[in-house]
Amino acid sequence: MRLRRYFIHRLLQVLPVALIIIVINFLLIHLAPGDVSILLAGEDADPAYMAAVRERYGLDKSFFDQLIAYLGQILQGDLGISYRTREPVFDVLMERVPATLLLAGTSLVIAAVLGTWIGTAIARRPGSLADTVVATFSISLFSIPVFWLGLMLILFFAVQLRWLPSSGMISIGGPRDGFARIMDIVWHMILPVAALSTVWLGQYIRLARTSVAEVLSESYVTTARSIGFSEPYVLFHHGLRNALLPIVTVLGLELGLLLTGAVLTETVFSWPGLGRLIYEAILARDTPIIMGAFIVMSFTVMLASLATDIAYAALDPRVSL
Amino acid sequence: MLAPRRLLTLLLQNPTSAASLFLVLFALAIAILAPFLGLPDPGQMAAKPYLPPGGEHWLGTDNFGRDVLSRVIWGTRVALLVAVGSAALSILVGVIAGSLAGYYGGWLDSVLSRTFDVFLLIPTFFLVLLIVALFGSSLTLVMIAIALTAWPRSARIMRSQVLSLKSRVYVQAALASGASSSQTIVKHIVPNGIGPIITDGTILMGLAILTEAGLSFLGLGDQNSVSWGRMIFEGQRQLRLAPWISIAPGVAMLILVASLNLLGDGINHALNPQMRSRGGAPRRRPTAAPPADESPRPVSPIIEVDNLRLTYSVGTRRIHAVDGVSFTLPRGASLGIVGESGCGKSSLGSALLQTIPNNADFTGGTVRFDGQSILRDGKPVSERGRLRIQALRWSRISTIFQSSMNALNPVTTIRKQMVAAYRLHRPKAGDAEATARVAEVFDLIGIPRHRMNAYPHQLSGGMRQRTMIALSLILEPDLVIADEPTTALDMLIQDQILAEIDKLRRRLNLTLILVSHDMGAVAETCEMVAVMYAGRIVEMAPTAVIFGNPSHPYTRALIDALPSLRGPMKTLATLPGEAFQPTETIVGCRFAPRCRHATDLCRTEAPPSVALSSGHTAECHYARAFAAEPLREHA
Repeated sequence: MRLRRYFIHRLLQVLPVALIIIVINFLLIHLAPGDVSILLAGEDADPAYMAAVRERYGLDKSFFDQLIAYLGQILQGDLGISYRTREPVFDVLMERVPATLLLAGTSLVIAAVLGTWIGTAIARRPGSLADTVVATFSISLFSIPVFWLGLMLILFFAVQLRWLPSSGMISIGGPRDGFARIMDIVWHMILPVAALSTVWLGQYIRLARTSVAEVLSESYVTTARSIGFSEPYVLFHHGLRNALLPIVTVLGLELGLLLTGAVLTETVFSWPGLGRLIYEAILARDTPIIMGAFIVMSFTVMLASLATDIAYAALDPRVSL
Repeated sequence: MLAPRRLLTLLLQNPTSAASLFLVLFALAIAILAPFLGLPDPGQMAAKPYLPPGGEHWLGTDNFGRDVLSRVIWGTRVALLVAVGSAALSILVGVIAGSLAGYYGGWLDSVLSRTFDVFLLIPTFFLVLLIVALFGSSLTLVMIAIALTAWPRSARIMRSQVLSLKSRVYVQAALASGASSSQTIVKHIVPNGIGPIITDGTILMGLAILTEAGLSFLGLGDQNSVSWGRMIFEGQRQLRLAPWISIAPGVAMLILVASLNLLGDGINHALNPQMRSRGGAPRRRPTAAPPADESPRPVSPIIEVDNLRLTYSVGTRRIHAVDGVSFTLPRGASLGIVGESGCGKSSLGSALLQTIPNNADFTGGTVRFDGQSILRDGKPVSERGRLRIQALRWSRISTIFQSSMNALNPVTTIRKQMVAAYRLHRPKAGDAEATARVAEVFDLIGIPRHRMNAYPHQLSGGMRQRTMIALSLILEPDLVIADEPTTALDMLIQDQILAEIDKLRRRLNLTLILVSHDMGAVAETCEMVAVMYAGRIVEMAPTAVIFGNPSHPYTRALIDALPSLRGPMKTLATLPGEAFQPTETIVGCRFAPRCRHATDLCRTEAPPSVALSSGHTAECHYARAFAAEPLREHA
């Protein structure tokens, strides 16, 4: 009950953000040099298609009417037509979502679990040599350009050692179904997941270390120790449980950064997800796809922030309206 | 805000920060000096293509025969230009917006804050990507686009800085003396609030470099400039044939971005030195075996403390918070320990339970509980690999903490926490039995049973404090140490709680040690009073004796400072000077510098412990004289 009311409240706060993102998109395309119809239909579109695009976006009407028309379209899930494939942008994007989810999701779980574990372990000895070394190491990890790390992994494991495939999600002419197909995908995932989770790992180590150390200096931890609870119990029941709050918050806030990494990694490994699609769209100057991707990414981040707020409220009984 | 010179000294003391500062400065130097280094033109396709590193071309040549080293060095220029340009731009916009929001508040603040929040939700990279894709690519545009998405970071930091600075005395003084708002912001607020923004600026610079490189890698970089991202973008097609083309710029980028991030981290730590060592698990300390001649003596006294010493290390300073404390308590007694804050009374409490912070050490002393040695010569006593105190904690010695701060875990219900404590020491008890016991102590303290399902934050201050008492009693301990149990509460509730503690002590035959700065609270609750000053008990006596016949000038000063409801109105006496922390060896009496009656003897010779009557001792050269002289106003 408490959560439902909270959810509705937060949803009402997030909706204006969605509106603003759509407006930014609309303004950008109108401010951009060149004719809007050419941006949307492509430079060498035939006159009939061009006319269709002008009609669709109401480009002959006033600026304000265009904005209203555009808002209406987006809210109905109509993100326009890709001029490269002449398919609805929304469908093209959705087709690529599963691959991105698979790659980003796997890497996120690995990085978050491993990073939280290492960070929690190191929080027990703040200021120690191990702490300093791990802190420096984790900062260095998220300073690595992820696409470059991907290339280096390819160079070492695919080119030099020939252990792992360097690109794609499945082998050409490989198994088409069943367990063998799953193993084939896993095989292709190893390198991109390694690149992505390595870069994210640094963030989580740092975050968990700071949050857990902060919690361990709270007085309820002293209470627990005075009661006689063992140190592992204190660390996990009090330390980690309370430290999850800031960890979850930052997870939501930094999702945009995470998606950036995913897009770049997909480009390196020719992973057939959204990132690869954006790359192809840039090469083909397929503006509707790039705009659509921006909207989808923004909405994803927004919804993730909403989800983390809800998770926060579920984890922390102090949150109320 | 630290002075720049001091900050630099602190940074250079830390090897990581010093190294990263050096690397950033080095990158800056070669970026500025690039045209004068005698390098081959980075765009010139003069050499043979695909030359591996070595010889004339240290890092080899690329597929067009361009010198990779030269391109990496020229790329440093682009990287730093983007970094400095976008960081400066976003800090400028952020400082202005943040100052306005924080300074003027009201509707302007809510509109601007809302804008920051919206911008922070937009995935930066994709917006920059869209802008560059639509507007064409140039370095300036890339910088503007990055700044456009990054300014809310600086704005948010500036806003909270301004909010906290606004109330400061010097800002108020500037306003009161007639300075205009804009003058005040520019002259006083911005320079003082900009520290954390600069720290964040180094992280922003790293982010900008990575963003630009990411764009270049997607083919959206400035076609006319040699950027590291662009080099990697071009090099990836030659990965198999000439990997050095993409290795070199990536390494350069990693080093520069990592240095910037580490530098930001270093500045942050230098500005907030307490951050690095907070928290942590208790460290292992050397332990002692139980004494060989120990025979169980389950008779009074319940606790014997002999010459206990506890020393804190703060930086290079050593603070002797407990400096040779001795006392014994019979079973069922109640002792109040009073003194100013910083006198070591709370440290004494945690020393008895051996829950001292990591920067504290026992430097001597013996503690026996119920005849059993738990601390020997400053070492916790361990038996069969287990600390003796661990077996006593909560089941025999418990504490009542001040509950104003988070003394209970905020995310779990009170019942769960109390049940967990009970079952830890009564492993055979089930959930139902434990809950029944919680209900019992709740009845005892007078809290309605249903409140046990509440979370700590749902209770009032007084209720929370009662819960802490209930928690301390759940295992029927022999000794309860109450550390400032009523300090955070209003007077009425204070009296109620103290009366309840006293009632329970008599009913359950507990031994109570009440640590408080409040003479009045101690007078109501305790049979004995120990007055602590600078780490030592300077006077100890039965309560009536302490108030009737105070024999140490410090005790007399404390009693003088008490407001009295009876007798004529009078100004409350205050004690000049500050309670000092005993950092080095003390010559003479530790109270002498603040004592009105101090003589040369006091300043040169440590006072002996003078036994005045049964159970009454005072550490003063003139204790007998004071004992004979009644307190003037209180009679």
